[in-house]
Amino acid sequence: MATPRTLRDLGLVILLLGIPVLLLRSAAQDPHHLSPFDRAVRRIGGPLEAGLGYAATTVGSFFERWLLQARLQEVNQELAGENRQLRLRLRELLRVEEENRELRRSLQMRDKVAEDMLAAEVTAFEQSPFFRVLKLELDRGDRYVRPGMAVLADTGVVGRIDRVADDRSDVMLITDPRSKVAVEVARTRAAGILEGVGEDACAVVVASETPAQVGDLIQTTGADDLFPKGHPVGQVVKVEELVGDQQRLSVLPAVRFDRLNMAWVILASAPAPDTMADQRQRPGAARGLQPLR
Amino acid sequence: MLRASLLIALGWVLAAGIAGLGHAFGLTLALPATSVILVCHLAFERERGVPAALAMAIILGYLEDLHQGMPTGVLALAYALVFLALRWLGARLAVAGQLVRGLTALIACAAADLLTWAILAALSGPLEISRDALAGGLRMIHWHALATMLAAPAVWGMIARLDALITRMGGVGARSATPPKPQLTWKRP
Repeated sequence: MATPRTLRDLGLVILLLGIPVLLLRSAAQDPHHLSPFDRAVRRIGGPLEAGLGYAATTVGSFFERWLLQARLQEVNQELAGENRQLRLRLRELLRVEEENRELRRSLQMRDKVAEDMLAAEVTAFEQSPFFRVLKLELDRGDRYVRPGMAVLADTGVVGRIDRVADDRSDVMLITDPRSKVAVEVARTRAAGILEGVGEDACAVVVASETPAQVGDLIQTTGADDLFPKGHPVGQVVKVEELVGDQQRLSVLPAVRFDRLNMAWVILASAPAPDTMADQRQRPGAARGLQPLR
Repeated sequence: MLRASLLIALGWVLAAGIAGLGHAFGLTLALPATSVILVCHLAFERERGVPAALAMAIILGYLEDLHQGMPTGVLALAYALVFLALRWLGARLAVAGQLVRGLTALIACAAADLLTWAILAALSGPLEISRDALAGGLRMIHWHALATMLAAPAVWGMIARLDALITRMGGVGARSATPPKPQLTWKRP
């Protein structure tokens, strides 16, 4: 049995359902028509929608920027990593280039110097107030190297082997006070004994028949049977006139010892030139290798 | 009354907000029918009388009509019918937990879409709507329902917060501490 309340609710429901039906009927009659109430609701809803859209756009653009920044940060990190790798690669390439240059110099040295040489890597440069010593690491041990052997660089004379221990040797530089090298002024051929005076400087006393000048090149004479003849030693930086027609020349070594990476130990003197080389007949090739005539 | 007004305001803001968000982010996916979720809530809560809840469902449908550019009254009628069906089901089924609420929203949305399609199909002549275009819309119903199901927990959460706010305010229409009177009409037979 339906109660009055139920009947009232049922009536209200039917009445309420009639509202959308009426709205639909109105819309069906004129789909494009909007009632004043519709317009009022739309007047409120339009700005609400636009405002929410604007807020969403603002928040969205902020979020997008934030995401973009995060993405840019990631890209930046990737690029930084790549940059690090490339820097390492570049450093490696520079090292290889330097090594290549050293090897080229080595080959040029072998062309320039006729003597038998042994390449050595410079491992240290000791500089006490009294002695100037270069440490070399040899690639073939002390079986070949003996104290007193000359040491050259591509730019000039370095010094002499002082001590040898296993595959390491100490080189007494030409600036060492103990060092003595037979040299000459390249322009005047005035000979003398170059002595080390420390502080990256050497001195030599020569005859002043043809006076030496600042800037003259000093080179080895080969008279001491240690250094090959004509190898550069240094440059005159100061000239002092001495009594008895002599000059004392201050010489700046041609080699920058602190920047030296590679040196060559002269193992043996070059053989004497063969004056009969042109006259000697070359032996003929074996029969099997001769061209057919 | 306050609670009913706030619920309608929430539905309006959500309807406008979803459209605004869709536009702002250029979403091409189906957007959730947030008003359907509110209709579900109205149907399954037992504190409000059927006529009052039905009136709210119709208002929500009417607002959606205006926002979606539908002929006025289509969604109002569809929501009203879906509400009545859900209210009838609510007397027989218990809806608790996020998953069940989501599934309820999914079914309600699908039902509302089908009803909308049926109403539009019936009035396609006077409303000057192509039946082929309506058939195309029918193929999107499942995506719309799925989007609504995914949005359901969030909307229900908003409703819960709104309820908590009204309770704190202690205003007129706030949720009563005493249990509601049983609705004889919707009582389990």
